[in-house]
Amino acid sequence: MRIALVGQPNSGKSTIFNAVAGYKSATSNLPGTTVKYTESKVRLNGKVYELVDFPGTYSLSSTNEAEFEVGKYLIEGDFDLIINIIDASQLGRSLPLTLELLEIGIPIVVALNMIDEASRKGIEINVDLLTNQLGVPIQTTIASKNIGVRELFILARKVIEAELPIRQKKIKCQRDVEEVIEEMEEVVNQKIPLSSPYPPRFLAIKLLEDDDYYRSFATGRNGVHISNTISKLQMKLVSLRGKPQDSVMVLERHAIAMDIYNQVVKVGTPQKDWREIIDNVVMHKYAGYFILIVILLTFFYGVFELGAVIEEFLLTGFEQVNNNLPQYFIPDSLLFYFIKSGLWGIGGGVAIVLPYLIPFLIGLTLLEDIGYLPRVAYLMDAFMHRIGLHGTSIVPAVLGYGCNVPAVMAIRILPSRRDKIISAIIASMVPCSARSIVIFGLIAFYLGPFWAFMIYVFNIVIIALTGKILSILMPEISPGMVLEIPPYRFPSFQVIRKKTWFRIKEFIMVAWPILILGSIILGMLEYFNIVEIIDQVLSPLTAILGLPVAVGTTLIFGVLRKELALIMLTQAIGTTNVASVMSINQIVTFTVFITFYIPCVATMAVLVREVGKSWMLFLLVFTLILATVLSLTIHILGNFFF
Amino acid sequence: MKSILEIESNKKVKIISIAGGKGVRRGLAQMGVGIGSVVIIKRNAPFAGPLVIENHGTSIAIGRGVANKIMVEEV
Repeated sequence: MRIALVGQPNSGKSTIFNAVAGYKSATSNLPGTTVKYTESKVRLNGKVYELVDFPGTYSLSSTNEAEFEVGKYLIEGDFDLIINIIDASQLGRSLPLTLELLEIGIPIVVALNMIDEASRKGIEINVDLLTNQLGVPIQTTIASKNIGVRELFILARKVIEAELPIRQKKIKCQRDVEEVIEEMEEVVNQKIPLSSPYPPRFLAIKLLEDDDYYRSFATGRNGVHISNTISKLQMKLVSLRGKPQDSVMVLERHAIAMDIYNQVVKVGTPQKDWREIIDNVVMHKYAGYFILIVILLTFFYGVFELGAVIEEFLLTGFEQVNNNLPQYFIPDSLLFYFIKSGLWGIGGGVAIVLPYLIPFLIGLTLLEDIGYLPRVAYLMDAFMHRIGLHGTSIVPAVLGYGCNVPAVMAIRILPSRRDKIISAIIASMVPCSARSIVIFGLIAFYLGPFWAFMIYVFNIVIIALTGKILSILMPEISPGMVLEIPPYRFPSFQVIRKKTWFRIKEFIMVAWPILILGSIILGMLEYFNIVEIIDQVLSPLTAILGLPVAVGTTLIFGVLRKELALIMLTQAIGTTNVASVMSINQIVTFTVFITFYIPCVATMAVLVREVGKSWMLFLLVFTLILATVLSLTIHILGNFFF
Repeated sequence: MKSILEIESNKKVKIISIAGGKGVRRGLAQMGVGIGSVVIIKRNAPFAGPLVIENHGTSIAIGRGVANKIMVEEV
């Protein structure tokens, strides 16, 4: 039995998923964050169901790749039930998706989520009337407080096991439009073979919407004839409603939705909303930027101060264990190298990575869940225009600070290929949490958090220049930004905890083993004196940059995981007190190189999938040259400063 | 009829036409904004970033490029 969780962005869909599935998914306030499907097994009344969390989507049209995939997978994925999560405070805007879902013909249960938010806004929903109108069972929920979630799934089980009679219906449009749909449906019935996975009425509506994918699906089989009929019927709609064919059906659905909304909702007096006042400052044309900088600085200082205390404490213990090692094992034996390097990998993960990673992830999750990131997109739109993109492209870029892999995937929310390529390149140049560990562990630790912040600023400047150059090379008018600004939300402690834990778990399960393995490999290479050969090969590069020859190997390992470069650096130079071996100039040069040079293997893999092999290779060569040029410049300039 | 860019904050307007690509029109339509919609301009700082409009309680940021193509009438 398979259940699909479907809802618009910011409807609290992933929060509901997390509530029942445990630590399996991440929720977010940015549209299109859950670009991957997340699946989990859920036990209901002794039976196990497969629960699939879909990416947030406004509709099932193929406006962008993410939306199109939702529609396709919903129809072809063999689901027994759809749970449609609706933000009750945005009922009018949410219903069009529900209307589309009704066309698919799979049983639906609706969750009216954030019902508390709705009543704060003075929106009182007559649930019984809405149930009647749609013919689907409805449960009100407050997912962030885990209210009504259990009842929702009990309702879901009842529907699946047919304990409830299904009275689900398709909502008809107004008669004139309905006639056109029926005419289209008839053509579909005649021309499209029965083997088509799409319900005829659903397909008919999509064809009238001028949806590229479904149109090519239909005409591909039937050529010019059906194409002419589609255009003819579209024009009929246009003349009926006086709106362009690409949006007339979408707006028609909205009109029906508003009709239902007006029948079931009583709007009272909203409670005074302090959030409006906050936005007057946060989104102000000057104050907004000031607050942005203050928030970011607070974030960096907070992460650093917390991390540094813990790191120092843990490192002292770690050094002691390490220094005592020769007492238990014969120094310079193979076993000694094995134990020592393995320990370095384990200890590095605990003492160097986690102290920064945990506060970093908590902070990032907090900013995400409060809803600050769309405001960043708003503030940055003008800036993004300067570099030939628009505000929506900031979404992948900001996600990149967590991890480049989901960031590159997030380009799917962009409509044009050119924007996708530029955004993917930009997103993979953003210092991810792994690179941030290097920046915190080296720059913040030895030079202070202000300089770490400056590295980020420097990175943004370089990214902006790169974006500018790319958009000059690929001139095209980009479609522009249309982005929802969701209201601020109080983050729930539980969700923050689960999300942070989910990401830390990813580090422990995926990255840490690589760190340990990498350390052991380096240890073995050291034992067999291969390191020297690699260092020698890379010595022209390290020599130009004025770096110690011993760091050569670490640059190669950094490609696997960027944190590895830091752990390896300490291992290669034989101490965690980097400043005792490297000068400040060398530390800065090294960090700049690590920050800018080629993305890690996981990012490369996802780049190949999203924008193709040739663009990935371009990025590889480009970032390698860029990193060399930048760190060389820093090295030369640094001679004057440090 | 003016471009929505020329409307000050806190004014209510009716949308007359939306020029430009299919993607933009559909993106707006998904949020319920189309020809004939009545929306409130929540934020319009000239020369500084996108507009924010409100439609049935949803705030939508619209880049100035897109906004330039939306023709409206004050109501």
